[in-house]
Amino acid sequence: MFKHLFKLIWNKKKQNFLLLTEMLFSFLVLFAVFSMLVYYYTNYKKPMGFDYNNAWLVTYNNTNKTQNTDSLNLYYQILQKMMKAMPEVKEVSFCSDNVPLSNYTNGGSVMNGKLTVGTNKYTVDDNYDKAFNTQLLEGRWLNKSDAVGKYPAVVINSNLKEELFGDATAVGKIITDDYKKSKMRVIGVIQGLKVKGDYAPSGNAVYFRVDTGSFHWIGSIIVKVKPMANAAFEARLYKTMANYMKDSNISIEHFTNKRTQINYMSLVPMMVMSIVGCFLIINVALGLFGVLWYNINKRRGEIGLRRAVGATGHSVSVQLIMESMILATMSLIIGTFFAVQFPLLNVFNLSASIYVMAILLSIVFIYLLVFLCSLYPGRQAAAIYPAVALHEE
Amino acid sequence: MIRLQNIEKVYRTDTIETLALNSINLDVARGEFLSIMGPSGCGKSTLLNIIGLLDLPSKGAISISDQKTDHLSDKQLAQFRNKKLGFIFQSYHLINDLQVLDNVELPLLYRNTTAKERKMLATEALEKVGLANRIKHFPTQLSGGQRQRVAIARAIVGRPEIILADEPTGNLDSAMGNEIMDILISLNRNEGTTIVMVTHDENMAHKTHRLVRLFDGSQVQ
Repeated sequence: MFKHLFKLIWNKKKQNFLLLTEMLFSFLVLFAVFSMLVYYYTNYKKPMGFDYNNAWLVTYNNTNKTQNTDSLNLYYQILQKMMKAMPEVKEVSFCSDNVPLSNYTNGGSVMNGKLTVGTNKYTVDDNYDKAFNTQLLEGRWLNKSDAVGKYPAVVINSNLKEELFGDATAVGKIITDDYKKSKMRVIGVIQGLKVKGDYAPSGNAVYFRVDTGSFHWIGSIIVKVKPMANAAFEARLYKTMANYMKDSNISIEHFTNKRTQINYMSLVPMMVMSIVGCFLIINVALGLFGVLWYNINKRRGEIGLRRAVGATGHSVSVQLIMESMILATMSLIIGTFFAVQFPLLNVFNLSASIYVMAILLSIVFIYLLVFLCSLYPGRQAAAIYPAVALHEE
Repeated sequence: MIRLQNIEKVYRTDTIETLALNSINLDVARGEFLSIMGPSGCGKSTLLNIIGLLDLPSKGAISISDQKTDHLSDKQLAQFRNKKLGFIFQSYHLINDLQVLDNVELPLLYRNTTAKERKMLATEALEKVGLANRIKHFPTQLSGGQRQRVAIARAIVGRPEIILADEPTGNLDSAMGNEIMDILISLNRNEGTTIVMVTHDENMAHKTHRLVRLFDGSQVQ
């Protein structure tokens, strides 16, 4: 029977061409939507890599005009001590403006021998790990002892470690900044931080220690507060800092709010694509349903004949559903051929498993859609009375 | 072979009730070639559909090969039609998207037969109707007479005991009609196939063993 149906479909290839094309395009759009959804979901499932709860971001402009680096360092050390002295504050950490969950980035690349890998670069102080409760996987975090040494100490994240060193240990290895051509010593590896929100990958990261000149340009402080910290404390913190740093344009944001905002940036395109995908699916479903129904009405004579020569109502229904499924299979074979080019050519630099999962989901979805759209017309065909159908013809 | 007892068929709509067949009693013997005649709308095709189990009577009983058919399920009816009956229609009812051989194989698809067996039986049936050289053609590439011969091959491929022919020569000129009639007569004589044929053509009807006439749904001869 399968061969018979295949012959029937093949001999009607001209009539089936539009239906095949419709299924093929639906598959490709679904593949795009599912690739995005699987990508977001895969990222969402991974740990955040840092604790953003009860963490606040204080941003400011450095208005201290002194050119003396030591004086400037002292100025900000005093500020740090003042803030830490507040009972609600657990930790205070100075860092570059590309803090997690912000839109700022500072990119570059590092080299291990001839291997060059793109990465984000962060300038942070010794308390950054405690402020964000990052997870150390190898070695240690930056500290005062790193101020001296042949090469500046850096901490890298697990993603960068994987790309640079694979399974080998990274601690103690020397890497090179591709831009400055300066060498750096890896002293620790931390778990990747999803700095662009729940739905984005953690990416690669190198953490440089704040040096004596950094306070000229640094403008962000991460404040880890205790759960008791409330709006009144926030006002007090603002006032304390504003009194200390005149005209510094201080602002305080909560990382929980920043997370919500940055997640919107991922969710909006995802929702737009999903809505467009849904409309398309509805269109395709209606189209399929209409074409199949039309086909059945056009083939009433054939259905009547099949009943006359021994087909049951059920087998007629199954035949029509199978015909649709064979058509779907043909379009899916073509569609899959195009879809597999994405992992093969490493388009968009996504993991192959994301594309494979998206292909599988799209295939299942198309089969399900075609099956559901064929079910009712198939039943209608089964209900056709052979004598009536043969007489009409 | 075929026994119809007090068959009645009524078509009902919301407003009209039409009596298509009224108290038909008919016995067809094994190996008989029976023709049914009557004016248009007298119920000839309805009667043939009822004999072919394609339609149900409103009243009465049918038995074919000593088997009562009134309590058969859809599946049993389908199997019965597949094994015992062969159909020939005025408008051939060939599937234009399938080659001649595939059209002839159609009844065998609903049996447990292998592709090889199907091909062998279908070729054999096409040889009987003189179309063995047309197996790769599509129905649209054949003349009316050839199409009807394909339909006959399809009807006999499953070696049914009974062939039901609904105006098999109705769409053909007299020469082609005679050709088809000769094939049917040969099937009846040589293979003992029971044939019930609806026709408008007196000449064709007179070539059969017996003639039944219908008028306004009732048997008049």
